[in-house]
Amino acid sequence: MGLFTELKDSISRATDRLFSEQEPKRIGIYGPPNAGKTTLANRIARDWTGDAVGAESHVPHETRRARRKENVEIERDGKTVTIDIVDTPGVTTKVDYEEFTDEMDEEDAIRRSREATEGVAEAMHWLREDVDGVIYVLDSAEDPITQVNTMLIGIVESRDLPVLIFANKTDLEDSSVKRIEDAFPQHKTIPLSAKEGDNMDEVYDNIAEYFG
Amino acid sequence: MPHQCTNCGRTFADGSKEMLSGCPNCGGNKFQFAPTTTAAAESSGGAGTDGSGSVDTASGSADASSSESDGVATRAAETVRDWVSADSDDDSGPEAAEQPLSAGSTAATESNQSWPASDETDSDDSEPPSDGEFEEWPETARRPEDRSGSPTEAGSDEQSHSRNSSDRPSSGPTATMADDENSAQADARTEVVPSDDLPAHSDRPEKGGAEPDGDADSVAGTHSEAETGAEVGSDDADRPPEHGRVVSEPSGQRPSIEDLRAELNEQFESIKIVRPGQYELNLMELYNRDEYIISLQEDGRYVIDVPDSWHDGDEDD
Repeated sequence: MGLFTELKDSISRATDRLFSEQEPKRIGIYGPPNAGKTTLANRIARDWTGDAVGAESHVPHETRRARRKENVEIERDGKTVTIDIVDTPGVTTKVDYEEFTDEMDEEDAIRRSREATEGVAEAMHWLREDVDGVIYVLDSAEDPITQVNTMLIGIVESRDLPVLIFANKTDLEDSSVKRIEDAFPQHKTIPLSAKEGDNMDEVYDNIAEYFG
Repeated sequence: MPHQCTNCGRTFADGSKEMLSGCPNCGGNKFQFAPTTTAAAESSGGAGTDGSGSVDTASGSADASSSESDGVATRAAETVRDWVSADSDDDSGPEAAEQPLSAGSTAATESNQSWPASDETDSDDSEPPSDGEFEEWPETARRPEDRSGSPTEAGSDEQSHSRNSSDRPSSGPTATMADDENSAQADARTEVVPSDDLPAHSDRPEKGGAEPDGDADSVAGTHSEAETGAEVGSDDADRPPEHGRVVSEPSGQRPSIEDLRAELNEQFESIKIVRPGQYELNLMELYNRDEYIISLQEDGRYVIDVPDSWHDGDEDD
């Protein structure tokens, strides 16, 4: 598939860049399951590279391996900011296959559950070693004050990584951006609907500013 | 030797840290937890050494359980299989509602129950001499469908019995797990479990009432169980522990499957298998650890991802 082309591209780009610029920053898209991380990653990738990152689903834990899209060049005010985006599996402290049994048979649900668990482990490792900045995606229709959110943002802060909080799903009726702003006042919160493409200009402005 | 490289077959002591950086022989990073029957049989073969080796940690129970230590590996393997297979069979059992870990508990109850029963017949009159006896352990720990009688019936009938009999001190499953302990494991635990995570000794009740309920065992709970197994090993609670940590006395009420699960959880506490398909994750552990399980298999197999292979995979992505 596109893997080899992508690899070739990234090698040649890496060579181009070798003596001129530094590595593009690797930005991890983190958040709880079903916050819209992959929808956002796809939106960014489609807007700037033309292809998608991964499959989206309303069933939680659709993304069970971290997926990377390299060399996403975002143009802002005549300047180009190049980043690698890493779409990570939703982070949670509990995975239960019974969540999925309405959507699939038990065997598949158990497998999904196991893969999701491995995905969380992978996401945590990326966070520790392989990201230079974090986009933390939250479903603005949900209560943002959870153990997972607090812990992850705490980890990001402890590593001194630049972080932007994205209040996603502003198209939903129950959406409350303020609830997120109030929960994490120390960070900049940007409202958006990745699905609808609302407010993406502000999203890209901030990505360029924070991670450029 | 509950850990075995699935590539070259090299076995590792329980809790060994060697394999955390890949198999020293072949570099493989796929391991399985439950020993194969062959491995178990081998360990049964080395009856004398196993038995005497365990005496230091389980002196109190060693006389009654010299055969137990040898049967452990086999029984552990069987119990893992029971645990896994029982899951699909026994969901509707009466214990299901009562204990979230019903499947495991049911299977465990049975194998647990078989313990005292066999124990009485085998070792009450005379010391179980040697290998011949060990063949019986796997039999009693067979998965329900392989044995005569309905599993549910057996489970519920025997549960009360098992509770009663488990009041008897020592030689229960907890002590049994301790028999399987060795210095590598103890060492690994000492390093992995920060003492801050463990409840203070003085806080613990003197009589082993700690975390008696299946689902209530928290991460701390698993620590304490395993620590208990590691350090106490018998009722001799006054004896100064070798590695300096006693958090509670062994609770005779623990079904062996819980010890087994605790054992797994203890070693890979970042991911706790509540039951197949249900996991609890310790995010901080996952974040802090170099290695982690990349592939959980309910049959006791897992792949440890080590930093080297992680970075290799990363490059190939």
